[in-house]
Amino acid sequence: MPTGTGTDTGTGTETGEGTAVTLENVRKIYQLGEPVHALDGVSLSIPRGSYTAIMGPSGSGKSTLMNLVGCLDTPTEGTVIVDGKDVTALSERERTRLRGTQVGFVFQTFNLMPRLTALENVALPQTFQGVGRDERRERARDLLARVGLADREDHLPSELSGGQRQRVALARALVNDPALVLADEPSGNLDTDTEADVLDLFAEFHDAGTTMVVVTHERHVAERAERIVHLLDGRIERIEELEGVGVEAGSGTASGSGPTTDPERSRESRDGRENREDSADRS
Amino acid sequence: MNPLEYLRIAWRSIEGHKLRSGLTTLGVVIGIAAVIAFVTLGASLQAGIIGDISPDDQRNLYGWAADPDTEGGPLAGAQPIFSESDLETVEDLEDVDAAYGYATIQSQAVSNGEERVAQGDGVIAAGPSYVRNSSLEEGRQFEMGEREAVINPAAADQFEDNVSLGDELELAFLGGQTATVEVVGITDTSEGLSPFEGFESSPRIYVPTDPYYAEQAAGFGFGDEGDSEGDGDGNGDGETRFLAIVVEAESAAQEDVDAARDAATAYLESDDSDASEFLDDDLAITFQTSTELLQQLQDVLDLLQNFIVGIAAISLIVGSIGIANIMLVSVTERTREIGIMKAVGAQNRDVLGLFLTEAIVLGVIGAILGTALGLVAGYVGAWYIDLPLVYPYEYVALAVAVGILVGVASGLYPAWRAARTDPIDALRHE
Repeated sequence: MPTGTGTDTGTGTETGEGTAVTLENVRKIYQLGEPVHALDGVSLSIPRGSYTAIMGPSGSGKSTLMNLVGCLDTPTEGTVIVDGKDVTALSERERTRLRGTQVGFVFQTFNLMPRLTALENVALPQTFQGVGRDERRERARDLLARVGLADREDHLPSELSGGQRQRVALARALVNDPALVLADEPSGNLDTDTEADVLDLFAEFHDAGTTMVVVTHERHVAERAERIVHLLDGRIERIEELEGVGVEAGSGTASGSGPTTDPERSRESRDGRENREDSADRS
Repeated sequence: MNPLEYLRIAWRSIEGHKLRSGLTTLGVVIGIAAVIAFVTLGASLQAGIIGDISPDDQRNLYGWAADPDTEGGPLAGAQPIFSESDLETVEDLEDVDAAYGYATIQSQAVSNGEERVAQGDGVIAAGPSYVRNSSLEEGRQFEMGEREAVINPAAADQFEDNVSLGDELELAFLGGQTATVEVVGITDTSEGLSPFEGFESSPRIYVPTDPYYAEQAAGFGFGDEGDSEGDGDGNGDGETRFLAIVVEAESAAQEDVDAARDAATAYLESDDSDASEFLDDDLAITFQTSTELLQQLQDVLDLLQNFIVGIAAISLIVGSIGIANIMLVSVTERTREIGIMKAVGAQNRDVLGLFLTEAIVLGVIGAILGTALGLVAGYVGAWYIDLPLVYPYEYVALAVAVGILVGVASGLYPAWRAARTDPIDALRHE
């Protein structure tokens, strides 16, 4: 997998293993009385290890695009390839399986299971993949530690702050080591300080090799990415490449050469930083 | 996904709604409890009745003549047709061990010389072996032709000075006659000795048909208390007829009982017998064992029990509708959770399994609580009516099976609805 194509060019190869998601001339038409072209011929390639923001006014097709990339929906026309698999050709079960293993979701409203603890929430996707309980819990504990919530694993979502909930959601999104993490307005319900913390965490995981796709309508959130895809009326208006972005460009370059989300590696490289996250969280 | 995980997550949501889950299962609890309680009581009642038949009684055939169309228990519609000579002939039959008449004598009072106690019935005339040796607490059986009696503890206790063996009692009959008897035996139980008497406890005095029934049958107002050498001929014309007879087979084995029944019936229906002169289409002889007689009672009990269980089953159906209703509410309420689960990779069957498990858990909890409650109710009921307690264990297993069934039946549709929820809509759901 680490073929060295995790570049910042944004035009990665269309079929190669270096591409997490490829959309080819995708159309999505809803029949609401009269046909509504939510997406009207979108072609986009998201390389592995990249950090992409999708912006656009409401009604521009952001949500539809997100649903397609997240394997929640299938296009009316065109192809969507996630992790090398053509989503349109998959059965519903296979699509669910692909979504469960290769896509991690982070939602604006966190969407944690209210009666499961933080640890159980993080472990939930693996539950559906038939991973054993002990292995699951170990993995979830590891990820909770990485997002700085090692001491909150038995708390219910209602006992956590918004920022903490979003960290749990991020840990859950990463638990199956997915091809990409899809975040829908991840900081929409957070105050400015907490937003910065969560976005720092995004950058951190991106630096460790995770492919990030963030859907947002806020410029400063989008600016944390490597490039911004602007949508308008179901089409890509323009793609804006951002230079020298993200925190600590140096480490970003370093991990960009090996675009994997190996938890062991990335944890070792970040021990010092976790403590800082911890203290920031409590404030 | 492994079923244990379904159980774990389903349990969380049941725990999360304790009151609602409790109220939901209540319907099932009540339904199952009612079924179990009534079945326990029914089984106990049955055991109580069967237990009253002593093994020695099993070889006795109770016979009477009545219209074959008559419905009812022993002696219903019985007519007095059996003569003394019929009984003697039947007793001599090869397959018959003993045969004697059975009659209750209308009495007024009993006195032990000092104290007089009113007694309207409970003076029973029969053959000596009617009071089986095994049911004698002390003393012996009375002898035919002697002025002797066996009494039961209830009869003995009704006097201030308890009656004991050798005491003499004076019986005052309805017609005004009196007779003196010597107590030669006391039974060990105050319950009836045969289905003719009924099985309830009451004071009873057992006397030989000869001389007492013969005297009684001779007619009221005869008042011949001095007839101490009564010989069973009553007023001398041999016309003493018995309403009922008891025929003892050689043993309690079914073939011996059947042989005795066939032999006795054959003779009594033949022209040789005195009884046959009365027999026609409207009067036929019936011989039944205690077990067979009780079978009728049991059939009625079974019918009644099925009826009540049927009503209880209706409350089970109501209970399952309750579960279905709550599950539907729960599916709607948790639409968002379903969306989350599907987004993170839950297959349709996982969602189906989760909700079905939840319904089944509710059903099984209801069944277990209902079974416990039903057994307690059955225990209290059996204790209250003084019955031997018999737990119908097969019904306990059945109750749990019904609980699972109720869960599946009521959970299937809601779970199916949950499973086909569209994750995109579900995630947007508020």
